[in-house]
Amino acid sequence: MTSKIDVSFEVNGEAVSGSVEPRMTLADFLRDEVGLTGTHLGCEHGVCGACTILVNGHTARSCLMLAVQADGQKLTTVEGLESADGTLHPVQEAFSRHHALQCGFCTPGFLMNVVEYLEEGPSTEEKEIRERISGNLCRCTGYHNIVLAVKELAERQA
Amino acid sequence: MTYVGQRIARKEDNHLLTGRGQYVADIRLPRMVEAAILRSPIAHGEIVHLDTTKARALDGVVAIITAEDLAGKVGPITRPFYKTIPDHVARETNLVVRPYRAQLLAEQKVFRVGEPVAVAIARNRYVAEDALELIEVEYEPLEALTDPQSALREGAPQLHPDVPGNIHCSFHTGAGDIEGAFGDAEHALSAQFTVGRSIGSPMETRGVLAEFDRATNQIVMWATQQKPHLLRSYLSEMLGMPEEHIRIISPDMGGSFGGGIYNEEIFIPFLARQLGRPIRWIEDRRENLGNARHTRDQYHDVDVAFNADGTIIGLKDRFLVDAGAYNPFVITLSYNTAAHLRNEFKIDNFDVEGICVLTNKRDNTPVRGAGRTSATFVIDRIVDMVAGFLKLDPAEVRRKNLIPGELMPYDMGMLYRDGGRIVYDSGDFPSQFDKALALADYAGFRQRQDQARAEGRFVGIGISSHVEGSGFGPHEGATVRIDQSGHVIVHSGSNPHGQSHETVLSQVAADALGISPDHITVRAGDTALIPHGGGTFASRSAVTAGSAVHGAATKVRQKILAIASELLEVSQQDLTIEDGRVTVKGAPGTSLSFAEIAEVASPGPGSRLPEGMEPGLEETDYYVPPTVTYSSGTHVAIVEVDPEVGTVSVLEYFVVDDCGQILNPTVVDGQQHGGVAHGIGNALLEEVVYDESGQHLNPSFMDYLIPTASDVPPVTVEHESHLSPLNPLGIKGAGEGAAVSPPAAIANAIIDALRPLEVEITQMPMTPARVWRAIETARSNGG
Repeated sequence: MTSKIDVSFEVNGEAVSGSVEPRMTLADFLRDEVGLTGTHLGCEHGVCGACTILVNGHTARSCLMLAVQADGQKLTTVEGLESADGTLHPVQEAFSRHHALQCGFCTPGFLMNVVEYLEEGPSTEEKEIRERISGNLCRCTGYHNIVLAVKELAERQA
Repeated sequence: MTYVGQRIARKEDNHLLTGRGQYVADIRLPRMVEAAILRSPIAHGEIVHLDTTKARALDGVVAIITAEDLAGKVGPITRPFYKTIPDHVARETNLVVRPYRAQLLAEQKVFRVGEPVAVAIARNRYVAEDALELIEVEYEPLEALTDPQSALREGAPQLHPDVPGNIHCSFHTGAGDIEGAFGDAEHALSAQFTVGRSIGSPMETRGVLAEFDRATNQIVMWATQQKPHLLRSYLSEMLGMPEEHIRIISPDMGGSFGGGIYNEEIFIPFLARQLGRPIRWIEDRRENLGNARHTRDQYHDVDVAFNADGTIIGLKDRFLVDAGAYNPFVITLSYNTAAHLRNEFKIDNFDVEGICVLTNKRDNTPVRGAGRTSATFVIDRIVDMVAGFLKLDPAEVRRKNLIPGELMPYDMGMLYRDGGRIVYDSGDFPSQFDKALALADYAGFRQRQDQARAEGRFVGIGISSHVEGSGFGPHEGATVRIDQSGHVIVHSGSNPHGQSHETVLSQVAADALGISPDHITVRAGDTALIPHGGGTFASRSAVTAGSAVHGAATKVRQKILAIASELLEVSQQDLTIEDGRVTVKGAPGTSLSFAEIAEVASPGPGSRLPEGMEPGLEETDYYVPPTVTYSSGTHVAIVEVDPEVGTVSVLEYFVVDDCGQILNPTVVDGQQHGGVAHGIGNALLEEVVYDESGQHLNPSFMDYLIPTASDVPPVTVEHESHLSPLNPLGIKGAGEGAAVSPPAAIANAIIDALRPLEVEITQMPMTPARVWRAIETARSNGG
């Protein structure tokens, strides 16, 4: 078997290190080795967006990254959104209030995408919002309430 | 305060938003190994050589399993996925059903691309997949049947020895006098329709984790399963174990829009027992798109008889279902199509024949809409064709044929699959229709359409309406208990995969008991909770689980009142329950809390129960529906077509639905939004494509397109609530209906947009290529 490579990075403010096969995806490493299972795998070919995390503040599909590529980076997963005292992140709170999740499987990926969008200075135009979240697939909500949640967050920021 | 009908916040959200959900793939057990499955690369053939030696030798491999290892120990699956069809249904529908036999792993032959051939079990999924590459298999290809027409032709190979002519099942039924209707009618027309194959495609792929405990001889298994109790009964039978020794847990599920029992759910627990190690198998997306069961895929040949004023007096349909390799749901899907073909229309003379034909493709089984999407596409296109033939506005012809509100409940003159007569129990279709058209501003749209046409834009409006036999039996169960702290626990036999059971069932229990939902915990998705359960399918949970929770909670309430009446020495009529306290009317100081009553009701010497009463505040209720209840809806789509490239944009979408008593409007709205998006996918994007050799050509999200946020418009939803007389709360199912109408509404809207060209559409999905071709055909015909 291929020799393993040491990696160390920061996840949600905590230092993480491990020894991985070069082929191991970042998503599998986060889920199976670090135990952060909030990052979900919906397609493992970079389309559905369920595995979206932040790498140095920017969205990335953790199914398309290898664990070794994360060496030295700062990662944020869905587990890093909530405050230590259990207060939900404004994006989480808006999703709940607008019933923007049903089965919840795609939700972590949407949340991470929207967190980045809000950082970038979001549009309040519905068409723009739909375009911006179109890289994440959801089969339950029809996106209607997700759009409402994002629109409200964007308007609050405008 | 009444909780049913309120927009109370979901109990499910917090753990799902914070990454604390527990889906099957999130669960790891000590000593767990992982499985990967070698699947057939061809559609039909004999296995002439199979060698697993190299794979077995790979470091990290625990076992390589083929059919030989299972022979005589487990499998095949021979019981179809439903209870027996009642005799009178079989008789009246001229039902013919051939045996069902599905091999767990390919024995000698493979019958479809993707059929499991071998299982690799290894240290982790990576190594298991490495092992698959080392398994040597040679196939001798046989002729593949890839559509029902070729499977029916003279001289076609017969796929299974006990299915002559490849017809797995068929039925022929109807109502009224079909020949008389066609004899009397002023006009008749014929049309053929093709409904493409699609797949439910939940965001979570399927998964199984099974553990066998040698100490207690028990299997515990986590599975993405809509029907955990049904799976337990299959395992009990096939593994030869008492049901009590098998516990199925359906944890958080990332959607699931159809299903049944899968081979992996049988052989993985079998192997976990055999090998004495927990085994996890998580499907990848390629496997999911090819191997989670498919749906729709029908070919209809329709005749309609009508008069010059647009009144439809007779409908004939003979349809073929491309049932795939095994057809485990037998007539479920096809009979649903037949039962819903007339939808909201009063067509008293009806003749329908459904034929399920086996081919070398994946099974064709119920997925959200379950046969109704196909039925609705057919009938709504037919009604608009009648309007087109008579040069009448489609809305006028549709409204003329709706069953008038004053005729409800209306007997459609034939049987439902469960043995009940098809009697629409409640609703007012013309009122629903008028409301939908007003919501969409149908009259005003015609003006906007003229203006758009003047600008060279092709916009159109289309209507579709449907009914849905919802709340299918045979039963659903619930247990309601009040613990010593006064907290309420509800155990449901129906488990959710996104439908908000925790929230809505707590609302039902709260009203029946007289306590806030905040003091209620709902648990589901575990066969250890309750002996019998149905599950979530057939838009049934609000109806059946809702009624069972209502029944059990009502029994607990009666017990609470009986105990309080004794303790407080007043008659039960003089007691009220509010906020978890029983109070004497007019004497607010005299009351008992649920906790105090629970203490009195506990077993033991301190118990002060009325004589003869069993200890404990716990009751179970099994709700057995008399037959299904009929929810309904009318949809209006507004689309724009680009005639140069054939693309269709859905600009606006309107829904008026009737699901009787709404448990939580926010949840129902969400179901409508999601259903419409699913239906838009079916209408415009989604098609599982096989080539003529039976190769599955689009097993990825790059090629099989499910709608993104940019593909669906905002959806405006309004409700009518005509209560069902069939269950105590008047509930009708809301989960699937919204997925039923979009293809029909959108097809009609496309035709309306292209009215000047006189385009005809008879096939879904309406991909850009097909729309473009329809336009070209119309143009070359001089349209």
